[in-house]
Amino acid sequence: MDISILQFFAGLIFLSLIFLNLTKKNYLAAMVFGIQSFAVMMIFLSSYLETRNLYVLLLVLLTLVIKVILAPMFFIRLIEKHQLSFSVSTYLNMPLTLIVIAMLTFLAHSQRLLPLTNIIPLHQGILAIALSGIFISLFMIINRKEAISQIISILSLENSIVVFAIFAGLEQFPGLQIGIIFDIFVWIIISTIFVTMIYEQFGSNIVTTMNKLKD
Amino acid sequence: MELVFIITLLIITALFSILLRHRALIEGLAVAASFVTLVGAIIIARSVAAVGIYTSSIFFTVDALGAIILLIIGFLCFATTIYSVRYFREESAKQIVGFTRVKQYFVLLNLFVAAMVLATVASSPIFAWIAIEATTLSTAFLISFYHKPSSIEGAWKYLIINSVGLLLGFLGTLLYFTAVGVDGAAGFVSWQTLLANASSLDPEIAKIAFVFVLIGYGTKIGLAPMHTWLPDAHGKAPVPVSALLSGVLLNVALFTLLRFKVVTDASADPSFTAGLLISFGVFSIVISALIMLNATNYKRLIAYSSVENMGVLLIGFGFGGIGVFASTLHLMYNALIKSSLFMMAGIIFLKYSSTKIAKVYGALKVLPVTSILFFVAFLAITGLPPFGVFMTKMLILSSAITAYPYLTSIALLFMTLLFVGFLKHVAAMVFGKKPDDIPVGEVSVWLIAPPMVLLFLALILSFYLPPILSSLVNAVVLHY
Repeated sequence: MDISILQFFAGLIFLSLIFLNLTKKNYLAAMVFGIQSFAVMMIFLSSYLETRNLYVLLLVLLTLVIKVILAPMFFIRLIEKHQLSFSVSTYLNMPLTLIVIAMLTFLAHSQRLLPLTNIIPLHQGILAIALSGIFISLFMIINRKEAISQIISILSLENSIVVFAIFAGLEQFPGLQIGIIFDIFVWIIISTIFVTMIYEQFGSNIVTTMNKLKD
Repeated sequence: MELVFIITLLIITALFSILLRHRALIEGLAVAASFVTLVGAIIIARSVAAVGIYTSSIFFTVDALGAIILLIIGFLCFATTIYSVRYFREESAKQIVGFTRVKQYFVLLNLFVAAMVLATVASSPIFAWIAIEATTLSTAFLISFYHKPSSIEGAWKYLIINSVGLLLGFLGTLLYFTAVGVDGAAGFVSWQTLLANASSLDPEIAKIAFVFVLIGYGTKIGLAPMHTWLPDAHGKAPVPVSALLSGVLLNVALFTLLRFKVVTDASADPSFTAGLLISFGVFSIVISALIMLNATNYKRLIAYSSVENMGVLLIGFGFGGIGVFASTLHLMYNALIKSSLFMMAGIIFLKYSSTKIAKVYGALKVLPVTSILFFVAFLAITGLPPFGVFMTKMLILSSAITAYPYLTSIALLFMTLLFVGFLKHVAAMVFGKKPDDIPVGEVSVWLIAPPMVLLFLALILSFYLPPILSSLVNAVVLHY
């Protein structure tokens, strides 16, 4: 696949992260995560088209089923079940969030992190974008108070790391990549079960309402 | 062969337990599986002691430190399974848990142990990462076992913090692969391959990678300031799970971190990793000592002691040489004594129905044997002679004091403070007038026996190291 198309998908992932940081609606966040995962799947697909390795094709299919279809479906079901369509709880307001995102993007492009973004000099721009994605996902985990948002943030962090690894030429043995995606699948199931448990026990998905551990 | 057998057996036991409808069968199966795990661990450790490395297939290798961790898994898994059987029978008698919960417990326990064994023996760093992530997944429901708001909160905190930490660890792990020039589907990169190619790893990347790995696996180890999940999870999980989390899981994560340290040291200046490990180690001791002074919950108190001991281990491994020797022994003593302490805390909980320190007093009159053992275990873990922890802490600090006099002095000062804080709470629990409404007498011999044996084992190992262990420890010193 042409590098400019891959750059487009990396850019799409970056944009999806900015959107996830700004959106107030859980439903939209779940859909955008699906689009983000679709971009990751397309990057895997390009790897398959190059190598024609059937394990990589399996990985593409697993990404499609688990991250593009099932994960957003789980989140939407949860949102509908507990009527959690809005999630406005963040620690920082929108302007401050944008400033932090800009600073993190700047940090990822800085000379200080050149050893990371220069692993493959040809991909320096994409690697800096992927690294920004990692930082922005981490920020989102901290900034969001709502459980589903935190789950989406962690999965976005994983997506960003995967993209970084692919463009840095650090793709793993396909068998292990399948193991990782299986782990992620189990993680999604467990975390969504926990969201239900939190809602049942605390009557809310805002994690700041959990304050029973103060003893 | 033994490794594949152990892992398969544990997974089959977990799956089979789902189908069983008789509690005694589930319990018996779990005890049998844990016994086989122990026997398998001993056989593998003997093999490593004789040959130096145990290789089962391309996917599994065990080195000297791995063999020691495997032995710890074997012993503690067996002891906690026996303890669990009686413990949950007592809880069932009090109508705290029912059959379904107990069944769920043994299923998850076997999966948890299988994941820990896998993480220890995995020959690839990515494979080890998958297994450590699997330990998080299998224990999340064990921590929320009692389905109370506080336990769900503790489990959620554990799940989120550890998942983020492990993802950062994953990024760090991937960065090490720049040395091997991994190409898509090229091949399976093992720890040995990483080490063999470490000289071609860019030192700057190696340093950044180690920082990510330290934060990632350091979260799982419970190093301050990433420790915040640890007292909550240990405090809310059922006691046998706390014993395994503290005695085994933290060591499994530490083992993985140390393997990365060896690779980093082969690429960058070893003083970089040493400085980081020692700093995190001292900080963990300081934080745990300060918090333990004002602890109100005895399970959390013991959990913070784990943070402290992980800090001590890091100082020793960071300093190297005699520090590694002392830390390897300390790792064994800490695992045995800490699990024993948690198990005795469980007996106290069964009697007093509270984990609040303020509500537990006069335990010596209520539970004489447990209280004496609890007090002895406290003395042992804080480093009083004749227990080996005294010798290991002294060796670690004396080895570090020349190179890092200020940090070592701070560590020593806060270890003393920690002893005072720990003593204050334990004395308040053990001594004094007993509550009128609590009957005198031990709960069950089956609850006392496992922690007593572990404590006794720690005492024996303080004076005598069997030849197998001795050669394993020497091999660890040479490699790490």
